[in-house]
Amino acid sequence: MTYALPVLVFVMVALATAQALRRAAWWRQGAAAEVAWGPGLLALPRRYLVDVHHVVARDAYASRMHAVVAGGLIVATVLAGLAILPSLGGSRLYWAIVALAFGVTAAGSLLVGARRYPAKPRRLSGGRFQILPFLLLAYALGGLAGALLLALGAASTPALIAALALSGVGGLGLAYEVRRGPMRHAVAGALHLVAHPRPGRFRSRLDTALAPLDLDAARLGAETPADFTWNRLLSYDSCIQCGRCETACPAFAAGQPLNPKRLIQDLVAGMTADEPPYAGSPYPNAREVDPPAAPLARLIGPDARIHPDTLWACTTCRACVEECPMMIEHVDAIVSLRRNETMEFARPPEKAADILSDLRGAGEPGGRALSARTDFAAGLDLPVISARGEADVLLWLGEGAYDLRYGRTLRALVRLMRDAGVDFAVLGAEERDTGDLARRLGDEATYQQLARANVETLGRYRFGRIVTADPHALHALRNEYRVFGGEWTVVHHTALLLELIEAGRLKPGVLGGLSVTYHDPCYLGRYNGETEAPRKVLDLIGASRVEMARSGRRSMCCGGGGGAPISDVAGDRRIPDIRMGQAIETGAAVVAVACPTCTAMLEGVTGVRPDVKDIAELLLASMELGA
Amino acid sequence: MIANADALLKPLTIKGLTIRNRVMSTSHAPGYGKDGKPQERYQLYHEEKAKGGIGLTMFGGSSSVALDSPAAPWNQVSVADDSVVPFFREFSDRVHKHGAKLMIQLTHMGRRTKYDTENWFPTLSASPRREPASRTIPKEMEQEDIDRVVRDFAAAARRCKQGGLDGCEVSAAHGHLIDQFWSPGVNQRTDRYGGSLENRMRFGIEALEAMRAEVGDDYVIGIRMSGDEMIADGLSHDDCLAIASEYARRGLVDFLNILGGQARDHIAHAISLPNMSFPVAPFLFLPSAIKREVDVPVFHAQRVTDLATAARAVHDGHVDMVAMTRAHIADPHLVKKLSEGRADDIRQCVGAGYCIDRIYVGGDALCIQNAATGREATMPHVIAKGDVRRKVVVVGAGPAGLEAARVAAERGHQVVLFEKQALAGGQIGVAAKAGWREALSGITRWLVGQVTKLGVDLRFGVAATEALILAERPDVVIVATGGLPSRGPAKGAEAHAVTTWDVLTGAVEPTGSVLLYDEMGQHNAASTAELLAKRGCFVEIATHDRMVGEELGATNQPVHLRELYKLGVVMTPNMELIEIYPEGNRLVAALRNTMTDAEEERVVDRVVVEHGTLPVDALFFGLKNASVNKGVLDQGAIVRGEPQPYDLSAGYALYRVGDAVAGRNIHAAIYDALRLCKDL
Repeated sequence: MTYALPVLVFVMVALATAQALRRAAWWRQGAAAEVAWGPGLLALPRRYLVDVHHVVARDAYASRMHAVVAGGLIVATVLAGLAILPSLGGSRLYWAIVALAFGVTAAGSLLVGARRYPAKPRRLSGGRFQILPFLLLAYALGGLAGALLLALGAASTPALIAALALSGVGGLGLAYEVRRGPMRHAVAGALHLVAHPRPGRFRSRLDTALAPLDLDAARLGAETPADFTWNRLLSYDSCIQCGRCETACPAFAAGQPLNPKRLIQDLVAGMTADEPPYAGSPYPNAREVDPPAAPLARLIGPDARIHPDTLWACTTCRACVEECPMMIEHVDAIVSLRRNETMEFARPPEKAADILSDLRGAGEPGGRALSARTDFAAGLDLPVISARGEADVLLWLGEGAYDLRYGRTLRALVRLMRDAGVDFAVLGAEERDTGDLARRLGDEATYQQLARANVETLGRYRFGRIVTADPHALHALRNEYRVFGGEWTVVHHTALLLELIEAGRLKPGVLGGLSVTYHDPCYLGRYNGETEAPRKVLDLIGASRVEMARSGRRSMCCGGGGGAPISDVAGDRRIPDIRMGQAIETGAAVVAVACPTCTAMLEGVTGVRPDVKDIAELLLASMELGA
Repeated sequence: MIANADALLKPLTIKGLTIRNRVMSTSHAPGYGKDGKPQERYQLYHEEKAKGGIGLTMFGGSSSVALDSPAAPWNQVSVADDSVVPFFREFSDRVHKHGAKLMIQLTHMGRRTKYDTENWFPTLSASPRREPASRTIPKEMEQEDIDRVVRDFAAAARRCKQGGLDGCEVSAAHGHLIDQFWSPGVNQRTDRYGGSLENRMRFGIEALEAMRAEVGDDYVIGIRMSGDEMIADGLSHDDCLAIASEYARRGLVDFLNILGGQARDHIAHAISLPNMSFPVAPFLFLPSAIKREVDVPVFHAQRVTDLATAARAVHDGHVDMVAMTRAHIADPHLVKKLSEGRADDIRQCVGAGYCIDRIYVGGDALCIQNAATGREATMPHVIAKGDVRRKVVVVGAGPAGLEAARVAAERGHQVVLFEKQALAGGQIGVAAKAGWREALSGITRWLVGQVTKLGVDLRFGVAATEALILAERPDVVIVATGGLPSRGPAKGAEAHAVTTWDVLTGAVEPTGSVLLYDEMGQHNAASTAELLAKRGCFVEIATHDRMVGEELGATNQPVHLRELYKLGVVMTPNMELIEIYPEGNRLVAALRNTMTDAEEERVVDRVVVEHGTLPVDALFFGLKNASVNKGVLDQGAIVRGEPQPYDLSAGYALYRVGDAVAGRNIHAAIYDALRLCKDL
């Protein structure tokens, strides 16, 4: 009977491998992808132990649980498998060590169970996940008992048989679950970390730019699961349905019909016909859909698996991506699906059609004259670069320049730059929209048209760097124009202001005691990792800074990104109302912002609430007080 | 949020001159000119608007280009010689410093002025027809006069350019010389300047051509003109359209500043400067129609008092620039507040006409609700925070009390405001009940909004007592308890007369015949008479003045008279009420003719009297003895703009403001409060 346990392990591994291979056949339905296997394999331990752990550890219980149960499971299984070697299988000491490993696994299984029984948190999926602790416990307890008996020298007893049988039930159950159950995440997850579609995001680097689309491709964007690359299909299989994404999702919180977890599971379910039913939180307030039973069918539509409302409710804030312990790229999936809806089927959100048309025809989403972009500064004599050919700083104004409210921010910024003696100029009537909005609405063609035009315009002038107050423009100019030949140093205005203060070129005054909470723009914080400069400026002007529960890279979206205000998908509440509620909870008198979209969304909140002021406005106010 | 407000904040470029937004103030005559020059007071008044974000401010309404168009009657500006140029330079520097543009209006007033002032030259016109408003019979211009005035226009334009002004407009509105030539009702000539419209346009064309020749094509010159004179023998809309198109087509003018009506008599004048009885922007259709025919920008002023209307006018394409002249008198920081997102803080013009009415009796323009306007040298539009925080108790939430509370709170003091009534406003609330005077309530609305925002502790429905006030341990007590109506000295008045207040507040609801005796000549009696007549009473107004509403100004009195005539109110001037006594269930009112002493009687159902108010001052006298200053205001300190010289460590200082001192008007009440509290 010494060999029973290793044999069980081999059978388990064989079964798991068979199940994984069955699943892999479906991944291979996906489009080809270039994967650097060698570096990926080499990087796996670090990606798992550092990058994944960094996310997992935000939930201390889950982190401990996983370390114990997964560590125990792997060590116990490997050790039990090694017992096939006669020298080890005969060693009672060895079996004692195996028993210890199974004991640890059993303890981990109890932690897994304790999280789900008597009641599980809402974000965790139920269904087959509820059986997982029992399978783990059976395998671990059986293994523990069997190894103990072998350590005590019992070679063949009914007790040992019973123990091995129990372990077999649990172990084979776990192996069987590799294709359709919770254990899929382990195999798919490990492979996913090796073959990750954004290898650049590991080692704490940012890789957030959308990949450009080949507009000559036979099919634009993803219509069915098979249109995703195989390694993205693999990544969706790595989902453990922990629901951290849904907790972070602003649309989900607002009761809009989006749940990132459910979305990923719908992509998974769309691959095969026999995926077990989804047992997590639904898309809130979703409309009925009538999904076809056949695999690899169309994903989006009232008669498909995912209603278009779900697709368009996303603000592209990346909160789900930031929270996902499996490093899944939800936003990439959303954008792929949107590209297909918009470009292949001409079904952007209803209100987006005119906006996209204006972006194409007028280079501006409101169809307004490009020369009117500088109207906000009438009387300020903005230097235009075409009149001078060069400047130290090219000030990119962005869409906010057309907005009455945001004009105040830009005027403050212009005054500050003047005060500091910055040599700057604007493009004036030559500045087009960056195309960020078109791109996030899936209209990659319009985006590329605008991107190329802007790159061409900027290429005609000499400037040291680009400064913008619009994080969406910053992201486009800094990260997404690169493939079109635009490589510049792009600086957010908060970083510039901090630099000017630190260089002594601006002398901030003191807003003594004014309590301020800073709202991180998604495209600055999460997309570009910049969270400190605005806070430092606030500290330097003597604001008493308080943080909202969600801040920095884990901040909550204002609801304004990704074209969501245009899609305007109904929910129970408005995202900016929720965010403003969080600001009100801090008791701050002012919500500091650093983005035209956040400004507009938060200013749109009615009722008694803190004032909404840009960092530039607050700095200028401090200087006016100080003067 | 104001719909389409961004339309107002777009720049406008005229011949290379970029105006930063679409809000302007038209040339007018505030009576601030001194020795024919725009000196410090005049400049500060416009500088305040420039500070406040206005795009273009035009000054010098009816500034004269010639010696026989005297500037003196209006305390206005003479551009008839070079001595004005240094003042223009100083003025334009002052306004340009804040990013605004500055222009002036040039004119020869022709017959619309006086001969018996300044240089004592006869007035001039196309033909010797007397204008009722100006009351002069002009001399018919000879060719030499025409040539001279054309040269004068050109020389004046040169002075504007030399003075750094951004442009000028020629007035051909309100019956000035150029439109006297245009108008068939004035111009009876048979030479090349009279007869056909082409001939009547000639003088203006010659003047503008001469100006162009003098200053060049790149200098901005516009014209102010009517879009329809709205009288039978005047210029029709089609005439005005033809003139505007022709002048624009010839490249003579770079903008058209269009208004509706004319001003040749009292009612025409009142209509061309619409007061609160008119809807907002009543003549917007005229510039809108002309804008469709011309390629130059069109400006327009006439009761655009609020930004929503202004934004509509510009956004919907009726005009290119919207003039908010009176709106800026009420709040020169209007555009700044809009662009800073503080539109709720704008003190909106209510259309009382107080500013204009003062000018036409030779006074200076002052705002009924903003006592700082025109007093920029001494009164702040933005109240600075003080160094010490005091406890200020204000009693009474009429205009004086509200302004005192507002200014004190802006100074950083802790303010408690007691008001016996459940609502603020005091006498404004009474006056606003009368028909078209309702808009007066805007004064209260703004003040209440401000004091609420400033965190003043508002205690409405609480009658202040000495004990309540002292319990607050105040440093300063300001009594603004206002006044109550007097029934006057007539025998039997106390027993048998009711007051205009009783009627307006609804305390009595007269029916049948009413004698309304008015000793004040103000709005009170006239608007009460209108109210009574509308309710079906047979109303006679008797007054000891020479006419009804004698104290009312040029933009208000004609409107009252029009209403009173329409309603069949009998107007009896030169009468004094001497006695009232009952007879049966009716009253007999005895009147005495002030000229002949002849006595008459009226048998009526009601006698309503208007004698103004007497102070409510019991609280003041109750607090007076214990106060450190015995309730005395140091007038010298007030005039010098210094704090009151009382030591507050020993107790509280006590002041009275508004009608609690003596019955006056809203402006006096607000000025009392502002000048006291700005230095508290």
